Amino acid sequence: MAAMAAPAPRSSKTESYMDNKRKDDIRMANIKSARSVADAVRTSLGPKGMDKMISTASGEVIITNDGATILNKMEVLQPAAKMLVELSKSQDVVAGDGTTTVVVIAGALLKQCQTLLHAGIHPTVVSDSLHKASVKAIDILTAMAVPVELSDRESLVKSASTSLNSKVVSQYSTLLAPLAVDSVLSVVDPAKPDLVDLRDVKIVKKLGGTVDDTELVKGLVFDKKVSHAAGGPTRIENAKIAVIQFQISPPKTDIEQSIVVSDYTQMDRILKEERTYILGMIKKIKATGCNVLLIQKSILRDAVTDLSLHYLAKAKILVIKDVERDDIEFITKTLNCLPIANIEHFRAEKLGYADMVEEVSLGDGKIVRITGIKDMGRTTTVLVRGSNMLVLDEAERSLHDALCVVRCLVNKKFLIAGGGAPEIELSRQLGAWSKVLQGMESYCVRSFAEALEVIPYTLAENAGLNPIAIVTELRNRHAQGEINAGINVRKGQITNILEENVVQPLLVSTSAITLATECVRMILKIDDIVTVR
Amino acid sequence: MAVERLFKDEATEEKGERARMASFVGAMAIADLVKTTLGPKGMDKILQSTGRGHSVTVTNDGATILKSLHIDNPAAKVLIDISKVQDDEVGDGTTSVVVLAGELLREAEKLVGSKIHPMTVISGYRMAAECARSALLDRVMDNKDDADKFRLDLMRIAMTTLSSKILSQDKEHFAKLAVDAVMRLKGSTNLESIQIIKKAGGSLKDSFLDEGFILDKKIGLGQPKRIENANILVANTAMDTDKVKIYGARVRVDSMSKVAQIEGAEKEKMREKVQKIIGHGINCFVNRQLIYNFPEELFADAGILAIEHADFDGIERLALVTGGEIASTFDNPESVKLGHCKLIEEIMIGEDRLIHFSGVEMGQACTIVLRGASFHVLDEAERSLHDALCVLSQTVNDSRVLLGGGWPEMVMAKAVDELARKTPGKKSHAIEAFSRALLAIPTTIADNAGLDSAELIAQLRAEHHKEESNAGIDVITGSVGDMAELGISEAFKVKQAVLLSATEAAEMILRVDEIITCAPRRREDRM
Repeated sequence: MAAMAAPAPRSSKTESYMDNKRKDDIRMANIKSARSVADAVRTSLGPKGMDKMISTASGEVIITNDGATILNKMEVLQPAAKMLVELSKSQDVVAGDGTTTVVVIAGALLKQCQTLLHAGIHPTVVSDSLHKASVKAIDILTAMAVPVELSDRESLVKSASTSLNSKVVSQYSTLLAPLAVDSVLSVVDPAKPDLVDLRDVKIVKKLGGTVDDTELVKGLVFDKKVSHAAGGPTRIENAKIAVIQFQISPPKTDIEQSIVVSDYTQMDRILKEERTYILGMIKKIKATGCNVLLIQKSILRDAVTDLSLHYLAKAKILVIKDVERDDIEFITKTLNCLPIANIEHFRAEKLGYADMVEEVSLGDGKIVRITGIKDMGRTTTVLVRGSNMLVLDEAERSLHDALCVVRCLVNKKFLIAGGGAPEIELSRQLGAWSKVLQGMESYCVRSFAEALEVIPYTLAENAGLNPIAIVTELRNRHAQGEINAGINVRKGQITNILEENVVQPLLVSTSAITLATECVRMILKIDDIVTVR
Repeated sequence: MAVERLFKDEATEEKGERARMASFVGAMAIADLVKTTLGPKGMDKILQSTGRGHSVTVTNDGATILKSLHIDNPAAKVLIDISKVQDDEVGDGTTSVVVLAGELLREAEKLVGSKIHPMTVISGYRMAAECARSALLDRVMDNKDDADKFRLDLMRIAMTTLSSKILSQDKEHFAKLAVDAVMRLKGSTNLESIQIIKKAGGSLKDSFLDEGFILDKKIGLGQPKRIENANILVANTAMDTDKVKIYGARVRVDSMSKVAQIEGAEKEKMREKVQKIIGHGINCFVNRQLIYNFPEELFADAGILAIEHADFDGIERLALVTGGEIASTFDNPESVKLGHCKLIEEIMIGEDRLIHFSGVEMGQACTIVLRGASFHVLDEAERSLHDALCVLSQTVNDSRVLLGGGWPEMVMAKAVDELARKTPGKKSHAIEAFSRALLAIPTTIADNAGLDSAELIAQLRAEHHKEESNAGIDVITGSVGDMAELGISEAFKVKQAVLLSATEAAEMILRVDEIITCAPRRREDRM
């Protein structure tokens, strides 16, 4: 890469000329590589967008339509291209959806900037005008938005299904959209109605079945087997559940220790002692009435041994072992119980209660399901099924997007039309606004307006429609005041998109515009790439 | 030659003219590199690391760019050093100082080329610098006595500093944040108590100042999430077990039950330790090291909020702001100083949960939470804000203020020019050259903004010929404007540091007449 050459000392006479040339080159190289990144994901935009197959360095294959995932796995090296990848990630963090849109918009803006720069406009002027245009664009979008109430479940479902429609799992959107809405709504804390922590929604993937079998579980699901050693119970009603963080195995001190055995009678005694030791622990557990045990994974020593499993089975206690420490918080929150770190603290008030704990066979594996939890915390679990790993992963990603969409609506309770309608309306209004402005600014704002047309253009193109015919008709309809006219990809024509139930959260559109502008402005302001340690 | 081999193999020596040329060229190359970042319309640079991951930084901060460069030229290293010193001392003007030093050297090169002895140049520069400084001193404004005006000054300085950075669009918002934060310090320059937390997501405008302290950690399981009138014990102690720290120590037993006993004893020791900690009458315990499950549960049982694994920075700051001490033994509760605060609660910023300590003992403490689209933006925002905070805290101590926008340089240049006319001898050439170098800063600002610099500088000079002119470059409209009206100010301390250290650096490089590069040390030589 020419841009990566270390800055050599230049002679002072020809410096000004050489400098400018180099700077232009770097800026153009940056714009070019950023645009090629945008072009790479362009075809996956919209309900008829195509998927990409990515084979990673480790040989893993991923099929996805999610912009953030594609870019993340692309491993670009050019710094400006990297910024676009970051951009898509940021959109993922802020809104969760629209990760492709944001990159496509940034690409289109960069294309316009290239023309502006060629026309000799100073990059900072372009950058400032872009900022102004984006602020104005947000105002226009907010004016277009329709408020939505959280009680209006139908609208929420509509927007979730718009997000799902562009994914592999689109045919299941009737199932997944309400599921996403329900799971988010059930974790909203009435005390803080504007905040949703998506960590309270756990997604468990299990191979087998079809996406149709995906379900929302009011309770907990573990993708683990009940430990079967010595025929312990696999189904318990009226369960009393304990989450333990200690180990039911022979004692081990933190100081290095060794047991010296000098003759075989001692050996017998030691074995016996081990047995009584474990039995003692289990008796204490049993005494509290506990009949389900979730055991945290331990790295220092075995959490359970065969012997303890055997005794636990005898005591009719169902055991789930190797629970990750990170999951403990979620589990205790759901079960409304406290983790127990020492056998001495094993008391009945620390247990959680559930109507049913059972092991269910699903596909080729088994899962454990805890349902009917008493005083359940504000969490939900979604069990995703799919016929192969690729579908399963993509279903999870799509569901995550849908959850994010619903979360956006909880944060900012406004909806906006989809199908390219907001973009074309922005383009029209900004175009009109640019005529009132003066000087370079007007020119730049007009370019911004033109760049936004890329969204409906690409939507139409990806759907196999004639993009020019569609975009011009769309412009026409909007000029006549139909601000909600958009592309109906299914029918292949322009309709009132709000009536077609294609809606998306306002936050997704606004953050896409602001983030894309911010990123483009950053790229514009760069005039040199310096290699450092 | 008699002394054929004075140096070791591979050591090189450059003498006289060549040595001077090498240092001039190196220093100028560095100055040219950062030149384009100067001023409100300066450009950014991508720093691409050659290390693992090829991480990318986008920045406008001169010190950051220079710090990370690969440099072999000794003179260039001197410039990098002055930029670093400028960063440490006053925090801002890191680019200006390098650009000025570069220009001084450029002028010196011409003078030396026309057979003026470097020493003459140096003494001329010295006189000029002294004169420039007194010219600035004549024109400083000091509003220390008028609180409102002083605050306005601070706001203006902050906005001027920020306007060349990524935060320029929201400079008023951030200037206010920075001024509020610095005013809380009440004159101390200890920026430690201003904590900056970066959280991705949201936009820069969502950044806010929070009085109190925010710790980016989690509260232990099953412990209270909200505590009023907290007594905080900040500790650095192992919360697994107190091990016998003698190498090879081990326990020998002959039965399982004894192992169990020892394990029990270890647990018991831990319990005692926890009891001792609880015995301090606390309701919040913050540890630098991990708190294991067992003590965590004990704390939860006692209704104490325990925070584990707070990093080093975190606990030191926490101890500072809550007025506590970091404890590591717990035998004498009366000798341990506890920290206090009014309220501890869990708050959510973006997607993350953080712990918020409000009403802390040390009133100066505050936290600035930065929000932004990506990590690039956040890092750069932090650097910019740090610059502003440094300048402001310096200004609170030394409240002398100048106008900005190239105004100080024009004032200095005018004074230096007059001095040149009065000074007899060759020195006057050097003094004249100094004034030309000073003009390079407004020239660069204008050039970076894409303006016609020659025209603007000429206009400025004409304006400044009048007495008491406030003219400077108004980059936004691209013309000469009144800096006092536009509210563009700079701290005197920054300008003074730029002037003096640039002159000193130039002087140092000028004095050089021989560069000796030592032979690289080889590994075998150690034998």
